[in-house]
Amino acid sequence: MNPAPTNDNPFAGDNSGIQQRETAARWALRVGSYIVVLITLAIMLHIFIKGAPVVFQSKWPFVNTQFLTELPATLHVIEDQQGNHIETDVNGADAVKKKLGDNFRSEKTVSYSGGGILGPIVGTALLVIVSVGVALFLGVACAIYLSEYAKHGKFLEMVRLAILNLAGVPSVVFGLFGLGAFVLTAPTFVDVPADRSVFSIPLGFTTLSFEGWDTCVLSGGFTLAFVILPVIITASEQCLQAVPQGFRETSMALGATRWQTIRYSVLPFATPGILTSSILGIARAAGETAPIMFTAALAFKDKLPWQKDLPPLPADASIFAHWEQSVARFLGIFTESVQALPYHIYTLAAKIPQNEYAERAQYGSVFVFLVLVASLAASSVMLRKRLRAKYRW
Amino acid sequence: MSADFTAQSTPPPVVQVRDMDFSYGASKALFDINLKVQYHRVTALIGPSGCGKSTLLRCINRMNDRVLSARVTKGEVLVKGKNIYDADVDLTQLRKQVGMVFQKSNPFPKSIYENVAYGLRIHGEKNKSVLDEAVERSLTHAALWEELKDRLHANALALSGGQQQRLCIARAIATVPDVLLMDEPCSALDPISTLKIEELMHQLAKEFTVVIVTHNMQQAVRVSDYTAFLHLGKLVEFAPTEELFTNPREKLTEAYLRGTFS
Repeated sequence: MNPAPTNDNPFAGDNSGIQQRETAARWALRVGSYIVVLITLAIMLHIFIKGAPVVFQSKWPFVNTQFLTELPATLHVIEDQQGNHIETDVNGADAVKKKLGDNFRSEKTVSYSGGGILGPIVGTALLVIVSVGVALFLGVACAIYLSEYAKHGKFLEMVRLAILNLAGVPSVVFGLFGLGAFVLTAPTFVDVPADRSVFSIPLGFTTLSFEGWDTCVLSGGFTLAFVILPVIITASEQCLQAVPQGFRETSMALGATRWQTIRYSVLPFATPGILTSSILGIARAAGETAPIMFTAALAFKDKLPWQKDLPPLPADASIFAHWEQSVARFLGIFTESVQALPYHIYTLAAKIPQNEYAERAQYGSVFVFLVLVASLAASSVMLRKRLRAKYRW
Repeated sequence: MSADFTAQSTPPPVVQVRDMDFSYGASKALFDINLKVQYHRVTALIGPSGCGKSTLLRCINRMNDRVLSARVTKGEVLVKGKNIYDADVDLTQLRKQVGMVFQKSNPFPKSIYENVAYGLRIHGEKNKSVLDEAVERSLTHAALWEELKDRLHANALALSGGQQQRLCIARAIATVPDVLLMDEPCSALDPISTLKIEELMHQLAKEFTVVIVTHNMQQAVRVSDYTAFLHLGKLVEFAPTEELFTNPREKLTEAYLRGTFS
């Protein structure tokens, strides 16, 4: 006689709680994701709410042009007997005090919080131009060599590993490297070497002296270039490798040299990707603080890099008649120290007494900075889309 | 092993492979190859996969140089009487004389015109009328001119697979090479495109000398004047195509043709 069939599963163990664990895992992961999104949103919203009113205004032209076109200045806040606060700059302070007369109660000054942030914007722009120029040239050259010329093997693997490791070096280390290499020892042409020159080579008409470039845009730009080099090399190499091998074979089979092949059949198709990665490099270079602290940036500077006390060029002559001087003056922009946005934000946040007047400049600067970086990232995405459509295979 | 039957024909061969050994690093790929390719003839290289037919083809324009450890270890390859493995050979000039069409059609993602003009441009030709003339001539040779003359500046990738391969042929013959090497040019094409390219090959042979690698024996019969059969890196038999297919001298050839092995 057969035993009656039952619903018992003979393999079943104790599975009590398995559904609860499943639910718990799902919720833990979900909550984690929500926290990330919430924090990001909170930061963005906070900066937008506090920063946008500084940059935008309700009246024409809707943008606070003063904030974007003036240099940072000390803000003077004068209080009268009725408790009204009058904000003015250093020049207006005396006039206001005279007008108030006996009504004057107190005056306080807030560093860097008046005026605008043109200096830091210009400085960051110059630093980015130099660093991306240098990094693109060196990075693409290096990527082409690694991808197209170097023989595969252990050595190449080591070079790649070294480049990847470079990406992990803390940025303050790059800053110190830049201080030693570019500020203090980089070669420059001078008539008389400075005392601190490491060594100098007389060339007859001038002297090549290893005495550094001093704290300037050039030093900072080169330092930043080394910060973003690993990103640019790695990305460029990937873009070069993504170009089909068949293009190279065909080109060589038609009698092209290796360089012609690269120039006409590889680079054009790798360029979109290289440009995209370089724009992301711009965002990175614009945002770094530590590498420029020792090499290029000042906490405060009351002049733009091209505002120097130089005798004006003769008024009668055209710019071409004095092209040497014109070029020298243009290049002189890059041998000036500058203010830079990230360092300016650091100064505002950590180096001055905090009050409601400082807050305006702080949030305004951060807001402008975020908008700049976001628009760079957005233009990178758009550029990639357009070029992808053009160069597809 | 190799037949010296061409010795009686008077014109010198355009390509002559003499006692050539070839290796990839430690592994030997070709053994003692002897081959003569006659002007304005189509020579087919057939044989099972891995027999070295593509390697042999790539020895003729030194495309194997791209592989690091690849070396000709013995013998020589003469093109128009000059050993192309001599130290003084300029690869760019050699490859101008010995063009190549690959298995996978791979036009550059540029215009049709720029694809055909590429070879001339890299050899320094800047004259627009010379380029125009060469593009028209090459596309006509590749039986593409009528189809494409009105859209020379369209992207080459917009063409069909068969058109792309014929464009690659036009690109290869634009520099007017003596020899055109074709590495299984039809293996990725549909039968109709294949037929067009086979018809084209007879036309091409009037102007150029064609060496074609094919895994398709019927194709070798249809297009070639001479056929070389390779097996395991050795040239087993080399004869006029009709002779090789109807009356092979070697047992191995006969076995391969009958399909006893492949």
